[in-house]
Amino acid sequence: MPLDTSAYGLALLRVDGRRWNELRRMHAQIRTQAAADGSSYLEMGHTKVMCVVTGPSEPGPRRGGLGGTASGGGASSAQSKDAEVAVSIVVAGFSSVDRKRPGRGDKRILELQSTISSALAASLHTHLFPHSTISISLHVLSQDGSLLAALINAATLACVDAGIPMTDYVVACTAGSTSTYAANDEAADPLLDLNHQEEQELPGLTVATLGQTDRVAVLVCESRVQVSRLEGMLAVGVDGCKQVREILDRVVRDKGHRMLLEGTVERGAGLDDMEVD
Amino acid sequence: MASTTQHALLSPAELAYLHASLSLTPPIRPDGRSATQFRPLAAETGILPGTNGSARICFADGTEAIVGVKAEVERTRRGDGGREDDGGELGGGGGGGGGLGSRLEGDFVEGLEGDFVEGLEGTVFLGAMLAEALLASGEFAKKLWINRRFHWKLYLDILLISPPLSYPLPLLSLTTHLALLATRLPRLKSEGDEDPFFDDDWAAAPYLYTRTKDGKATSRPPVSLLVMAVGNNIIFDPSKEELAVADVALAVSVGEETTKTDEEVDESSSSLGRNLRLLSVRTIDPPSRLTPPGVPNATNSAYGAAATTQKQPEARAAESEAVEGVWKAPRGGAKALVMAALVQKSLVRGGVADEVLDALDAVDLVA
Repeated sequence: MPLDTSAYGLALLRVDGRRWNELRRMHAQIRTQAAADGSSYLEMGHTKVMCVVTGPSEPGPRRGGLGGTASGGGASSAQSKDAEVAVSIVVAGFSSVDRKRPGRGDKRILELQSTISSALAASLHTHLFPHSTISISLHVLSQDGSLLAALINAATLACVDAGIPMTDYVVACTAGSTSTYAANDEAADPLLDLNHQEEQELPGLTVATLGQTDRVAVLVCESRVQVSRLEGMLAVGVDGCKQVREILDRVVRDKGHRMLLEGTVERGAGLDDMEVD
Repeated sequence: MASTTQHALLSPAELAYLHASLSLTPPIRPDGRSATQFRPLAAETGILPGTNGSARICFADGTEAIVGVKAEVERTRRGDGGREDDGGELGGGGGGGGGLGSRLEGDFVEGLEGDFVEGLEGTVFLGAMLAEALLASGEFAKKLWINRRFHWKLYLDILLISPPLSYPLPLLSLTTHLALLATRLPRLKSEGDEDPFFDDDWAAAPYLYTRTKDGKATSRPPVSLLVMAVGNNIIFDPSKEELAVADVALAVSVGEETTKTDEEVDESSSSLGRNLRLLSVRTIDPPSRLTPPGVPNATNSAYGAAATTQKQPEARAAESEAVEGVWKAPRGGAKALVMAALVQKSLVRGGVADEVLDALDAVDLVA
């Protein structure tokens, strides 16, 4: 289904009514699952993902009677000095418009796993947990573009919930450009946060940054794009990541505040000086 | 027979204690529930607008599952036994004709997924058990009939989010139940045997399980309950630890007797409880059979008994007579009386199955 790009030039509105620099509605929850060490649920538009973190724990036969090898891991083996970040992604059969049979060992999924694993391993303080594994399992419930970005954001939130020390949030979002690589048109606008339809039609990239900084942690571009457009897209993407960080930070703070009010956690010594709102 | 692969790490002494407390009348369960009490649960439906029906259930112990139902129109193959005459009997079990098989395509089996499912040996068995109960009710396949040339094909994908802290059958069954209750299929506009053509107004889509004006379903999918016996006590919805000392464990699938009119439904559900009927029973191999036996003091060399010269003292202990307070794995089959009581208890009016169905009824259905 071709995207009607001509309409954008007239009203500067995208197919779902957003302007070029607007994110979709983003909603997140943490601590959604009582049995897990850390868990989160994240919606970016219609993309919905769930994340459950187990660990840091001893590797081997995983807790809860899990078997099988850890997939998408960084440095494997129990003898390593750093904790291994094992990511597994399960894409539910009902997540896309047409039901797909979940395939084993899908190359795309494997790549997503290793991307997320290496991005988080760089931000988490894995050196504090030698000989252990942090297993992150991600469940994709509904897909509508920006899947990798949603997965990274959900994994970050779940790691925060699990209380694993990390330097900063790893936040991600996508960016695209209004014209395809073939059209040599100078008026092309960069776009923020692509949905599925735009992702099919337009060049796009996924960028993840380390919190508020401009340091890029992940940059994935799977489409052909004119190199002159790349800078604009990247700038918009990094800017979007800052917005995403604000949203995620708000979620974590709200949850923390609620837990303090409910008395789930004790108010720590240093917490009085901290701004908890 | 299915086996529950996750073992609770309990010593023979702990097992003996647990077994003893569960054999008391009334039984004392580790979490303080009564014998017929279900774990509290939180449920919601219609969480995924992209599916025909979806549901999520969280048990109080933290186990969580999500089920999504997707429907596709499929051409009915010629020569599907018994399918051509719609008035005919549809056949009973899963093996009862290729018609039923093709309709469901064993997708309950494929449908189970999740990170934690890999560790569960009985995944296929769990899926088969859920599918079996659905097919056994006989009503289900009829609902998927469009016309003589086409039928709906339902894909039920079950996502187990949490690590399996207990045998997940009740969780998966209840979630599937809710998802099916919330499932809606587009309204058919075409007539007769022409190619199906549907109303694109989702608000007009009827529910797969039809319901009355006030939103109560007139019929409902089956539920599978896990029941176990310890001594003469029958315990519902056992936790992992309780299952570790079970003498017998059964998966009992019950369905509601189809009632003819709305008045009957209201009358029966308000005062007398539901008319339940048994759809299928499966024995679950309880992990208690694999637990190591305890050694009684009389034969324990640490307590002054003559040191045994045999190489495997455990093997000898297993053969010995049961000693009061010493754990011994249950052996042999279940007593017929206990089995009968297990099934009887699950079907009793106003019993656990009724309670569970009532609770699920209270969940707001939005699809």
